[in-house]
Amino acid sequence: MNIMFFLFSLASTLFRTPISTLSRSCLSSQHYFRLFSMAAKNPHHHLEENGGATTVMAADILNRHNSSSCKKRKLFDIDVRSEFSHHDPAVARINNGSFGSCPSSVIEAQQRYQLRFLEQPDDFYFNHLKPSILRSREAIKTLINADHVDEISIVDNATTAAAIVLQQVKWSFFESKFNPGDTAVMLHYAYGAVKKSVEAYVTRAGGQVIEVKMPFPVASNHEIITAFRNALEVGKSNNRKVRLAIIDHITSMPSVVIPVKELVKMCREEGVDRIFVDAAHAIGSIRVDVKEIGADFYTSNLHKWLFCPPSIAFLHCRTPELSNLHHPVVSHEYGNGLAIESSWIGTRDYSAQLVVPEALEFVNRFEGGIDGIMKWNHQKVIEMADMLAKSWGTNLGTPPDMCSSMAMVGLPACLEIMSDSDGLKLRSHLREFFKVEVPIYYRQPKVGEVNPVTGYARISHQIYNIVDDYYRLRDAINNLVNSGFTCKVFHD
Amino acid sequence: MGEIRSQGDDSNHIHLAKKPKLSSFITQSQIQQEFAHHQPGVSRLNNGSFGSCPGSIIAAQKRWQLKFLQQPDDFFFNQLPTQILRSRTLIKEIINADDVSEVSIVDNATTAAAIVLQHVGWAFAEGRFNKGDAVVMLHCAFQAVKKSIEAYVTRAGGSVIVVHLPFPIHSNEEIISEFRKGLARGKANGRKVRLAIIDHITSMPSLIIPVRELVKICREEGVSQVFVDAAHAVGSVSVDVKDIGADFYVSNLHKWLFCPPSVALLYCRKSSLSSDLHHPVVSHEYGNGLAIESAWIGTRDYSSQLLVPEVIDFINRFEGGIEGIRNRNHEAVVEMAEMLAKAWGTSLGSPPEMCPSMAMVGLPSSLGVLSDDDASRLRNHLRDQFKVEVPIHYQPLKDTEVGSREEGDATNKIKSEAKFEEYD
Repeated sequence: MNIMFFLFSLASTLFRTPISTLSRSCLSSQHYFRLFSMAAKNPHHHLEENGGATTVMAADILNRHNSSSCKKRKLFDIDVRSEFSHHDPAVARINNGSFGSCPSSVIEAQQRYQLRFLEQPDDFYFNHLKPSILRSREAIKTLINADHVDEISIVDNATTAAAIVLQQVKWSFFESKFNPGDTAVMLHYAYGAVKKSVEAYVTRAGGQVIEVKMPFPVASNHEIITAFRNALEVGKSNNRKVRLAIIDHITSMPSVVIPVKELVKMCREEGVDRIFVDAAHAIGSIRVDVKEIGADFYTSNLHKWLFCPPSIAFLHCRTPELSNLHHPVVSHEYGNGLAIESSWIGTRDYSAQLVVPEALEFVNRFEGGIDGIMKWNHQKVIEMADMLAKSWGTNLGTPPDMCSSMAMVGLPACLEIMSDSDGLKLRSHLREFFKVEVPIYYRQPKVGEVNPVTGYARISHQIYNIVDDYYRLRDAINNLVNSGFTCKVFHD
Repeated sequence: MGEIRSQGDDSNHIHLAKKPKLSSFITQSQIQQEFAHHQPGVSRLNNGSFGSCPGSIIAAQKRWQLKFLQQPDDFFFNQLPTQILRSRTLIKEIINADDVSEVSIVDNATTAAAIVLQHVGWAFAEGRFNKGDAVVMLHCAFQAVKKSIEAYVTRAGGSVIVVHLPFPIHSNEEIISEFRKGLARGKANGRKVRLAIIDHITSMPSLIIPVRELVKICREEGVSQVFVDAAHAVGSVSVDVKDIGADFYVSNLHKWLFCPPSVALLYCRKSSLSSDLHHPVVSHEYGNGLAIESAWIGTRDYSSQLLVPEVIDFINRFEGGIEGIRNRNHEAVVEMAEMLAKAWGTSLGSPPEMCPSMAMVGLPSSLGVLSDDDASRLRNHLRDQFKVEVPIHYQPLKDTEVGSREEGDATNKIKSEAKFEEYD
């Protein structure tokens, strides 16, 4: 890496500006002062990865650019490094999808709420909790283009939202609104916890479950739409009714953006009773417009991609007054509507649910706000995925337009990932020996496939990621390949 | 048994307590320091509703929260399950359960009630219970539990028998007698009583219920299962689940055992039926037993569930450990209750031996508290105008006597003593 690239990457990291953009554009003198004073004011600002960066060096870079003609460029008004300084600096953190991430300014806001409860819990309960939850719900309503705040309930996570929707299905079977054998349709790639919830509430109550077999790798929405249509047919066969369709907006493993709008439309045409979109990953990584999508129920976690602390999700309900949904933890507010029921489910720490406005404030400090962040993350994750696939001689599991802020990158076949267990053990191995955190997906090969790619790394990109994270993953895998490593060692 | 031993007892590998040297007991000023985050200027006499948590436990909790934020995957795979098991094992000792598999950790007693009642609901829906079979509960059961019964039992076809307890009350015999009558009503017309829900310490009005005796009666009368809602119990009364003998026993640990909000234990006595309990938020561990299911219900902050070891350390800084704290709280609250009753010309709602760390003190009838609403408003008034936090109970009696619930705890004891000193 020559000195110019070093300086560019230094500046790039310092100012969170893509390298390509920095080299093309330059900074006005006004922005220079603002940035210089920011760096000077913030004694905690430091760079770990290249070491020894100083503000003087940064000023040199800026000077160099000031002299050439340039267009004005608005920069990030955020010190990303210090906002995520609590992340373990030794770890290449490429798994934002599983547990999300939260900047320190939002954590601090959360801690202020926690303290207020501890100071005088009765006062907090009677005078502050409900208005604060309402504030969060209003913010979410605007974010997802819902009509009315009554449609928005805040719950712990998508897992809880699924239990709420599915428990209602259970009651419908018990109260004979549904007939035994009526069906629920869900994707084969539905999240494991949701599948268990379907077993616990639908199968146990007498419903039957049809899984949509989707191909992976997948090349286009068409494949998904066709597979879904077939499953609906099966669900309706033998005089059964499809009572519920559960559609992921972004599947977890393997991660694919699903054409939910089209599938919801199909469900309506085919007379499906209710449609539940499990969009755990969606908010903060792709555009969410619940009116446009048109489902009956839509849930997404805000702690994954929208910078909220663990944990908080919303459950949007298109017709709250008709749905008869209840929170399974029944408390004083039972019968007052799901949103109100969910706002008090016994004494607990609700602080994560109260900082949505602060999270949005954080997001809006970025150029383009959440849209800017989503675009940036998507662009970077594709770029990094392509880099990895090229290095490993593999491919992406989906075309870029079916990726969100995550991408599935084929792992070299010679690693011989032969089972879910191998995938999990390889992931642990990468964590322990290379300090790289990335989930590994095992894909069962089709009969007759030669030298199949059976493993995929689900890489993510969030604003705290740096290129080096992905180089470390690249090198770790290449290291394993070059040393003749295979997952057979896990079978001993 | 059933409490953290204050003598050194190494009968198991978990060091619950070693009697500390006299000089290393926590001091008054250290206690004040531990609760320095409590809003100054507020007379905090309502520990029962939301509990309290010392600064050192909060600091320990922040350390766990940070561990998750630093590397959540590593925390999830390598640390969380071990730490939850560690908490569960210590809880098992605290309550004298036989096996750690009987101990699940959930958010709060409200969640535990939903778990037990959902299990009852399934039994009605799947025909194991007949429509009309009864669930028996106390009239003063916590309102959230009553709603849960409506949501899961009534809706599934069960009937509900409500046992009214007199208040003010004078002895356990009054409770036992009413309970027997309630059971008899439940069994009328050939119905079976499928579940009895018995509070160990009622919330409003607050009394200690003779649960051991009531459970025995339930067994004699053929009640299928007994659920003790002991939300307030751990840390305020002695708890021995084997001795009590219920099928299900729940207690919050954030009320009287210094845990942060929120954490509760749900004890399920081993039996063929206990495998049918499920956490309503179903996740990956569904079918692996309630304790394991409850240890992962999706991404959330589990830190408050991981602090039982630190809490035991905190408690053991007090002379006599948890038993010492309980006794002193009880003595102080009764002393303060009698002081108030004397000043107001009223009396306590129950004899001292039926008070835990809370006591019901009659308010002067001239205040004219004539409804639940009045009680609420008076409580708000005391908070807003006098910075006194205390719940007020409205008891519709013939002489319209009302009560206020007041508690003692280690810090209040100090505060009250300080106030007395000021007047000396």
